[in-house]
Amino acid sequence: MDINLFLVQKLHSVLSKAGRGGSLPGTLALKLDKDFLSRFQMPGRTVLVTGTNGKTTTMNLIAEAMKANGLKVVCNHRGDNLNVGIATTLAIASDDQYRVQADAAVLEVDELTLYRTFNTLHPTALVVTNFFRDQLDRAGELETIIRKLMEVTENFEGDLILNGDDPNSLRLADNAKKAHVYLFSMAETIKSRNISDEASEGKFCPRCGRPLIYDYYQYSHIGRFRCPFDGFGKIHPDLYVSSVNFDNGTFTADGHVYHSFLNSSYSIYNCAAVLCLLKACGLDPVKADEVFKNYKLKEGRNEVFNLSKPCTINLVKNPTGANEVMKFITAQPMDKNICIFLNDNDLDGCDISWIWDAHFERLNDPLVHTIVCSGRRAYDMALRLKYEGLEDRIRVIEGDREAIAWLDEANMESFVMATYTALHSTRAVLKKQAGRHRR
Amino acid sequence: MKLKLLWMYHDLMDLYGDKGNIQVLKTRCEKRGIEIAVDTCTIGELRTIEDYDLFFLGGGADREQGLIFEDLLSRRDGIEAAMKRNTAFLLICGGYQMFGQYYRDQDGKEVPCLSFFDYYTIASDRDHRCIGNIAVETEMDGKKFLTVGFENHGGMTENVSTPFGKVLYGHGNTFDSGFEGFMNEQVLATYMHGPLLPKNPEIADLMIQRALRRNHGDVALEPLDDTLEKRAKEIMLSRLNISPSEMSETPAS
Repeated sequence: MDINLFLVQKLHSVLSKAGRGGSLPGTLALKLDKDFLSRFQMPGRTVLVTGTNGKTTTMNLIAEAMKANGLKVVCNHRGDNLNVGIATTLAIASDDQYRVQADAAVLEVDELTLYRTFNTLHPTALVVTNFFRDQLDRAGELETIIRKLMEVTENFEGDLILNGDDPNSLRLADNAKKAHVYLFSMAETIKSRNISDEASEGKFCPRCGRPLIYDYYQYSHIGRFRCPFDGFGKIHPDLYVSSVNFDNGTFTADGHVYHSFLNSSYSIYNCAAVLCLLKACGLDPVKADEVFKNYKLKEGRNEVFNLSKPCTINLVKNPTGANEVMKFITAQPMDKNICIFLNDNDLDGCDISWIWDAHFERLNDPLVHTIVCSGRRAYDMALRLKYEGLEDRIRVIEGDREAIAWLDEANMESFVMATYTALHSTRAVLKKQAGRHRR
Repeated sequence: MKLKLLWMYHDLMDLYGDKGNIQVLKTRCEKRGIEIAVDTCTIGELRTIEDYDLFFLGGGADREQGLIFEDLLSRRDGIEAAMKRNTAFLLICGGYQMFGQYYRDQDGKEVPCLSFFDYYTIASDRDHRCIGNIAVETEMDGKKFLTVGFENHGGMTENVSTPFGKVLYGHGNTFDSGFEGFMNEQVLATYMHGPLLPKNPEIADLMIQRALRRNHGDVALEPLDDTLEKRAKEIMLSRLNISPSEMSETPAS
């Protein structure tokens, strides 16, 4: 019996009886014992999930699909992907001897801290969803993240599941000579494009520095690329999505038809990562179909609140994510108002310049009426839109309650985009506001 | 009236929203009926730099910066000719560094730069960077005003004879340096991202005036409605505990 572990487990059980989750137990654990994470005896299957976008969704889908394969699984399902969150997850899942009581652990790990915890967690598989520009002031540059990850995977002997359509992720394969590399990839679809105005990173061959040639883009710099000089990007995918049917949200992989939880290319990439991992682990991928079909996105991911008219909220935290959310919003065929909450707290990234890399001109659409700018950097958001010629539609309402009340009173369908620290508070306001309509 | 802008390495040197600067210059010209042509120029592309009124070079990640070095150095004569013909220069971050003597990287390797000015840059170790909001007081072309931005650089630039301004909050050219950037009558070079121009319309307008000068002399610019710009800047200044009233009331035009 270890006293720290006992305290941490006790604290968690007290907190959860009081209806409070959170990472407090893990914070305490790491304060008491900085090597806390290294004490756990991990399950025979330990899958780490990292990348820029889609980590939480992919991690949850893997965990559910493993359960569907009959395994007992522990995961940080809420996406608490920093050390404190992982410490909490492992502590409450283990016995009093630090033995994690499960057949498999599936852990989402923040891409900035993974290089420090990688060996501590003894992974048997690492899944990388993609790498885009994100919160650069916190991260240093994308290049640094990739290099650090290349260093820690250099001697990795487990399964490395990579997005074969992302040049930034595929770079890891070159360096991880001892790992078993599995690649997932998607064929050209009706939504693929020959040119892209979104690709910012990964335009050049990491081996020789020459420009990569793309046969097609799926979104951002994800697509079929190759270097004509050294063959970088000529891949033989282990999991290939051979066709996608956007009319009914299904896709075909290895001759089997799967249902996606969301009808978009990026969500099918998440599914592909899951299927690829299952194949690598020798589990049955087909069992994932029920999981995909019934998966409910987490809070703040396409979540709808019933104000006077429906209001859909989405998390945005980097240009690629924001671009995809805006594509989704403008594809909805009704008149709408939009509200953008832009914060610059530590967890959002203090540098908000990423809004200038995102394609806010997409909101210049006749069905978009008012765009409410809110949050700590509401005026910066307003300026961004002003320079897209959206001056006449901007309305700055700094407070979140006032902004949501305005949307409600406008009596029109609405879409909210919120940065990380704004998401939680805005959801609370939306919940309250929606409650008024139920009475 | 026409303004020709050359956007160097638009595809490689475009970090932290630097492209927003181009958008601001474009919009502020167009609103005043000034015809603005934006040409881009990347590695291997032929351009006569002296034909342009304004030269813009942003910052890039280390890898991208490494890719353009050789190409940029091969254009030194063209850039020098443009300097002689009074082209205006706006250089951000990596662009700023490359106009100095040299850049010494983390491993101590010295890379010669364009050497137009006396300053040089030494990279600090990988874990220490100047990161955060920054406020700078400047006097540009006879106008005094406060500027705000976001700095994020590992390079320490030393031996700057004529800085862009005095740091009121943040680091500047080196850790806790009192001064930020480099400026003379023709060149404004700075570490300020944000991007720089949206919240600092005074600089945008002065850059437009500098660019127009060589063909049109001193041009008075029609004032624009900058309510949002002012408010965004005031909010940042007050968060940094700098009284916005310190801001000059003189309009930029």
